[in-house]
Formats: sequence, structure tokens, C-alpha cells
Amino acid sequence: MNILTQLVLSGMALGMIYAVIAFGYQSTFATSGTLNFGQGEALMLGAMTGLSLTGEIMGGPYLNYWLMVPVVLVIGSLQGLVVEFLAVRPALRIHSEFGWIMSTIALGIIFRNVAENVWGRDDVPFPSPLPTTPVHILGANILPMELGVMVGALLLMGLMELFNRRTLYGKAVVATSSDRGAAGLMGIDTRAVIAFSYALSSLTAAFAGVLIAPITLTGASMGSVLGLKAFAVAIIGGLTSGMGAVVGGLILGIAETTTGFYFSTGYKDVPGLILLLLILAWKPNGLFGRAAVQKF
Amino acid sequence: MLEIEGLEAGYGPVRVLHGISLKVPKGRVVTLIGANGAGKSTTLRAVSGMIQPTAGQVRLAGKNITGLPAHRVAQAGLAHSPEGRRIFPNQSVRDNLILGAYTRLTFGHSRPRGDISGDFERALDLFPRLRERQYQLAGTLSGGEQQMLAMARALMLNPDVLLLDEPSLGLAPVLVEEVFHIIRRLKSEGITMLLVEQFAHAALAVADYGFVMENGRIVLEGSATELQRDEQVKSAYLGH
Repeated sequence: MNILTQLVLSGMALGMIYAVIAFGYQSTFATSGTLNFGQGEALMLGAMTGLSLTGEIMGGPYLNYWLMVPVVLVIGSLQGLVVEFLAVRPALRIHSEFGWIMSTIALGIIFRNVAENVWGRDDVPFPSPLPTTPVHILGANILPMELGVMVGALLLMGLMELFNRRTLYGKAVVATSSDRGAAGLMGIDTRAVIAFSYALSSLTAAFAGVLIAPITLTGASMGSVLGLKAFAVAIIGGLTSGMGAVVGGLILGIAETTTGFYFSTGYKDVPGLILLLLILAWKPNGLFGRAAVQKF
Repeated sequence: MLEIEGLEAGYGPVRVLHGISLKVPKGRVVTLIGANGAGKSTTLRAVSGMIQPTAGQVRLAGKNITGLPAHRVAQAGLAHSPEGRRIFPNQSVRDNLILGAYTRLTFGHSRPRGDISGDFERALDLFPRLRERQYQLAGTLSGGEQQMLAMARALMLNPDVLLLDEPSLGLAPVLVEEVFHIIRRLKSEGITMLLVEQFAHAALAVADYGFVMENGRIVLEGSATELQRDEQVKSAYLGH
């Protein structure tokens, strides 16, 4: 068995999860210049509601995994709308530059506390929808669910890209991202677009939650670290680049698994965070961050 | 068609407009001239909902549109080609034009559809350079082409009134001429326009009526020919 391939593949699965969450950060940042710092909690809520529907903790199972996913996506979007309405809209209305930072963090803490009271503080296993016996790829053992994570993440990002490029409403979202004022002049309700981007960002987080839950432990505190690392990924890759989120995610994911194996699991978060510091010092827009293409 | 009465607006605590009143009759071209910083662009912004007026009234075809958010004003039939063009640089020329027709393509409280593909063809006929560059990213166009795109995009709304803010700004003389040639053509097609310009000479040559602004107030108005002959206007804005 090839250890390095093994580590890289596992790192890729983890990295794609970071990428999906980072994608959510990017979507609200693009339309409104704000971020949902409760993104990790949106992920946790997705995983916990998913577990309640498909596991036995709430007297279930009520739905199988594949039917549960769309329900969780709907609940995730609604949660995003709540965050936008309660934490972001008031801050944007009074042109508060930093108010949304505190209010999204506060809302995230509230969500976590509620989750702790509803579901308890202990981590519980999430039943895997795919076989739990590893398959052999390139001399490595990999869980089918790890492959499922990669496929699911790429599928979601592909669909989003298609939506943005091919549909009228997607074009309106892109237009709002590049120039909110001009988008308004086109007749685009930019406030609705911002609310939509929050729904989308929580949807992606909830999706990441149900993707990763079967290969990790599910619990009220699972979101905080994931949310923070995905934020690092968004900064490393650039807050404006979807490609950056994927590359940043893969770098961080692979750095984690390899460091964990070759050095010590205690240090697995260090290389990624050092990379973050280096990027902030030398390329503050991220690896793929770009200024808009515009000629005058 | 467009009536503005006692309009006041500004940015934060700074008041820029001190009671602007003007009318743009249907099918006419009215120009708003004045020095840099007189408040011309601010007037257009307060009309189209990019900023909120603090007093006064704006009516479009008799309907009160004062203080509506920009997207509602667009739905009511007013197109604004803003200062600095503000095209969407990361989207294709074609997508920019499609977004111009957004209110006609969406369901619900929007503008009548009409003949969108016909208007699209018409816009490309009017601006042949855009036809060649349809699939190019708008940000890669030259300054002149971006101005053409901004105008074409505004026309895609099929507006009752078109606001044009400094369409000649920063363009080479030959392109300025082309822009005014197009404005003349739009006028002959009966499009109602409010044109803001620093090139007072060219603006008065195409307009039916003009208003002169100074420090956030209208200081003079008259038919375009009257203003062209006016000594005060001549010395201040026509450069002779």
C-alpha cells in the first residue's frame, strides 16, 4: 500500500469539504462584501438535522440518506435567509462597516447553543450511505464516502458555475457581484440577490455537513474548526475565485493529512496556518484573487 | 414624460442639490449642462434611485417614483446609463445586453416583453462594433466601445425615458462625434432623453431644450437655440 497516495487522497476529500464551505464564504462576499462567520454552525446544523432525519437519535430513521439531502438543503437555505435578515441586513442598512462581523458570530454562537441543548454535547456517529469497506485505488485504501465527498463537492460547484453562466438569475447574481449600483439600474433587486447569496452559502455549508458527517463525528461543536479552516482556505485561494477555493482547499487538506502522518497529528493544523500567514503577507488577495478586468 | 420638482439630495450630511425642477416632455431631448461638480450626475442619481432624495418629487409618465429603489425605477421604465459607464466587466457583451433587458425577461412585476430579440438586433445594428465583440468580456473593450455598450444596455430596457450621463467623457474626438451621431439617431426614433454633458456645445446642438446648473441649482433654462445664443452661456460653457 502506498502511504503517500493514501494521504493525498484523504487530504483531497477533506480539502474538497473546505472548498465547498469556502465557496459559501465567497458567494456572500461577492454580492454584499460581507461574510457569514456562522458558516461552521450552518454546516453543523446541516449535519445534525441530516442525522435526525436519517439516524436513530430522534426516533428515526425517517428518510434514507439520499432523500434526506434535499430536505437538508432546503432547511440550510432557510437558515441562511434567517442569518441575512437578522444579522446582515440591519448592518448593511445603517452602512455599518463591521457590525455584521459581530452579529454573524453572535448568531453562530446562538445556533451552537441551541444545537447543544437539542442534540446534546456529545459527538455521535453518522450512518454512512455507502459501504464502509475501503476500495483500492492507485495502491491506496479509500472509503467510498471519501470519493462521494469529492464527487458531491465537484457536482455542487459545477452546478453553481452553470447557474451563474447560463441562467438569467445567475447572470443577475454575477452582475450584482461586480457592480451593485449598476445592477440595480438594470432592474435587479440587489437586496434579494444578497439574501439569495446567504441562502446559497448556508445551503453549501449544510451540504458540506451531510457530506463529511459519515466520515467524521457529528456533534454540536463540529462546525467551529471546519468553518475557521474553510475561512483560511478562502483567504489562501482568494475571496473572489472559485478555482482558488478548490486549490486552497486541496493544499490545506493534503498539508493536514501528510503533516499528521509524517510529523505528529498534534501539528497537523500548523502548515496550513503558516501558509495563511505567508499568503497574507505576500499575496493579500490570495493565490487566485484578482482585480476586475477593466480598461479605462 | 419625466417631471422633477424641488428635488433635494446629497451624500451623507452634504447636500448637493438645492431644489431642482425640470421637465422632459415625451419624445424630446433635454440637456443638463454645467461645470464639474454642479450636481448634474447627482440629479440623475437621485432620479434613478441610486441615491435617495431628501425632498421633492419625481414623476415618470404621471407616476410618482420619488425615492423608489433603483430596480423599481427601472421597472417603471426609466433607463440610466450612468457616469463611468459601469458595464459588467467580467461578463460578455451579450450578457451585458441581456441584463439590460432583465426587467423584460423576468416574471412578475416587470416590464412588458415586447420584441426582445428584435431590440437586441437593433442595438447591434446601432453599434456594429458590439456585434463583432458579442462574446468578448466587456472589460476587454476599449473606452469608446464600453460607452457604446453602456448606451446599448440602457436601450435594452426599452425605456420611456433614457438618462445619459456624460456619454462623451474621456473619449477621443472621433468617438465623441460617433456618440453624438447615435444620440441624434435615437432622437429621430422618438426616444425621450435627458442628457448630461460637459460638451455644452454638442449637447445644445442635439437637444430641444436645456437647463444650466450651478452649485446644485438651475440658474438658467431655455430652448437649445436660445441657450446657444445666450451671452452668459457662451462665455461660461461654450468657450467663446
